[in-house]
Amino acid sequence: MSTSKSTFRLSFILVLVLLTSILAACGSETATTAPSGSTTSNEPRTIKLWHYEGANSAMGIAWAESIKQFQASHPGVTIQFEEKGFEQIRQTAGMVLNSDETPDILEYNKGNATAGLLSTQGLLTDLSEVATQRGWDKLLSSSLQTTARYDEKGVMGAGKWFGVPNYAEYVMVYYNKDMFAKANLQVPTTLAEFEAVMDAFVQQGVTPLSVGAAEYPAQQIFYELVLSQADREFVNAFQLYQGDVDFRGPEFTYGAEKMAEWVSKGYISKDATGIKAEDMGVAFTNGTFPIMISGSWWYGRFTDEIKGFEWGTFLFPGNKLHPGSSGNIWAVPTNAKNKDLVYDFIDITMSQDIQTLLGNSGGVPVNADVSKITNEKNKELIQNFDAISKADGLAFYPDWPAPGFYDVLVANVQELIDGTKTPSEMLDAIAIPYQENRATLGK
Amino acid sequence: MMLKRSTNSGYWWFLLPGLILFVMVIAIPFLMNIGTSFTTWQGVGTPKWAGLDNYARLFRDSTFWASFRNNLAMLIAMTIVPTLLGLLLAAVLYDYIGNKFGSGTASFFRAAFYLPQILPVAIAGVVWAWILHPNYGALNGFLETLGLENLTRNWLGNRQTALPSVMMIMVWFQLGYPLVIFMAGLQRIDPEIYEAAVLDGASWFDRFRFITVHLIRPEIFVVLLTTTIASLKVFGQIYVLTRGGPGNATLVPSYFAYQNFFEKANVGYGAAIATVMTLIIIVLTIIFIRRQSAEEL
Repeated sequence: MSTSKSTFRLSFILVLVLLTSILAACGSETATTAPSGSTTSNEPRTIKLWHYEGANSAMGIAWAESIKQFQASHPGVTIQFEEKGFEQIRQTAGMVLNSDETPDILEYNKGNATAGLLSTQGLLTDLSEVATQRGWDKLLSSSLQTTARYDEKGVMGAGKWFGVPNYAEYVMVYYNKDMFAKANLQVPTTLAEFEAVMDAFVQQGVTPLSVGAAEYPAQQIFYELVLSQADREFVNAFQLYQGDVDFRGPEFTYGAEKMAEWVSKGYISKDATGIKAEDMGVAFTNGTFPIMISGSWWYGRFTDEIKGFEWGTFLFPGNKLHPGSSGNIWAVPTNAKNKDLVYDFIDITMSQDIQTLLGNSGGVPVNADVSKITNEKNKELIQNFDAISKADGLAFYPDWPAPGFYDVLVANVQELIDGTKTPSEMLDAIAIPYQENRATLGK
Repeated sequence: MMLKRSTNSGYWWFLLPGLILFVMVIAIPFLMNIGTSFTTWQGVGTPKWAGLDNYARLFRDSTFWASFRNNLAMLIAMTIVPTLLGLLLAAVLYDYIGNKFGSGTASFFRAAFYLPQILPVAIAGVVWAWILHPNYGALNGFLETLGLENLTRNWLGNRQTALPSVMMIMVWFQLGYPLVIFMAGLQRIDPEIYEAAVLDGASWFDRFRFITVHLIRPEIFVVLLTTTIASLKVFGQIYVLTRGGPGNATLVPSYFAYQNFFEKANVGYGAAIATVMTLIIIVLTIIFIRRQSAEEL
């Protein structure tokens, strides 16, 4: 045997051994730790908690206080908090939750494409029994429970509890009070009045709406316009697959045509197609635009950052339905090791004093003592939400029904704004992936 | 002969670490990706066998073909233009700037052109997004200062200008790389060849065409190969600048695959896109290398 042959064989064997080890390692992945409930041992325990809220956001502040309270009431238990990015959790949750590196509790995005998908794979704990035992089902209105519950196909709105939301969010109209006063304009109460206000700004050479069409904001305006013609039945058909959806029907047609009209009338700049959400918010903060339509997640930040003018909010004029929902949810992975303890933690985050702190920090709580909300602006934010919630007015978000629908909407609303697609072409383009996903789910 | 063979076989040990890494990092994931491309899979749970469905869908998918056409534009911006421009600039810096102003000046320009290559893609992308911003961007501001308001545009947000703008940025990103390679190549050319050509009455352009381009052909092959591969898998710049928009005006296959992997939970289809692009890259690489080997013979 020549040296070259023996060397080759040796190398081959080494590579083979290495491959076998890798494959063995891959195979062992499924042998994860069995889920456990409570343990009876008195040994110190550690809970791994992941969330992606900024430390100075309303939720970040409220949950930091929850951690403190939990540790005070559970001596011997340590909460090991790891701050994650929204994208980081969204893109890797499936893999992480399927491993033995899973946290005991994590904040997770709600909706069919996220929590719904993971629930169908058996990666999230069924919290139905605990939710009843601990009374979470009593604290959350039925519209807020929509994002907590998923059926066997992962569609939200019914079925088992796979998450617990403890704050809420909704889309509203932010406006620059100083610019309104200078133009002698009042807060509009109907869509026609709203258009008259925007006309007045256009006549003064001011583009009224700050819009970011490179990301989510423009599709939420489109959805507000669709909702102006919609009812609960339409929302349930579109979001929960509880009926047929006609993208050439009156609701979507009105939304797309009105959006194109708003661009042609100069309410929305064609430049919006190159603007991201952050730039949209900054432009409003700088006083460049008098109006911005977006979510309650901007509220706390505007309170902090807008110094040069007075600002306020109002609900999209004339609408009974508004984009909005519960906030993100606390989810408990199936492989979590300390489920009994994390249920205690969720209890604390739902308690009235934590919820009041969340409200006073600029968030929308679900169980606050409104009499203890000291900031007038925050009170207005919460009262507006209560009004929507009581009127069953939460219509969720347009990108929720199908995985990847967000990108479809971004691209097509951009094309509607820059005139590449007519309203009917745009509606046909967004109908295809929606109907495909619906067919996949057999809905 | 036997002695030579056994001496060469000793190199096997040095190749082994690379081979193991190749198997672990390239071969196994690639084979797994091919396997996944024959399934429908949401990234979790059990994949379902789908045969060639993903490939059949791929060839019918107008979005994929739109992204592929954009990729050809990236090929122009990342390979053809930088190679031609890099060749010309390298010759000018080496022949003219280097001779007239000294090698230090030529090195300064070379470093300046190379700078984008060492900047993190995300930072360079954010800076360019700022320069081209429709409201407060430096480019529009500059045009307004010059009284050229008519030329201001929503550079990255308009369907007509988005792709050309991204192409222009990619030329800026890429130009330094061929320039540095070509200047290194020029340094190994014997100056006597140029001197002889000058004595024979060859003009600068004749010397460039018949000596420079001819003698640095191996470097040109390397640049063409590596930049072609880079253009086929371009992702970071698109992600930071436009996310494929507006509409699908700047969508490229790698970003389209990413969308399917992570946004649409359509892992099988994303794997099919990645497999097709990898095969295209492998075929192009083989063609380039064979052509280069034939040239060397």
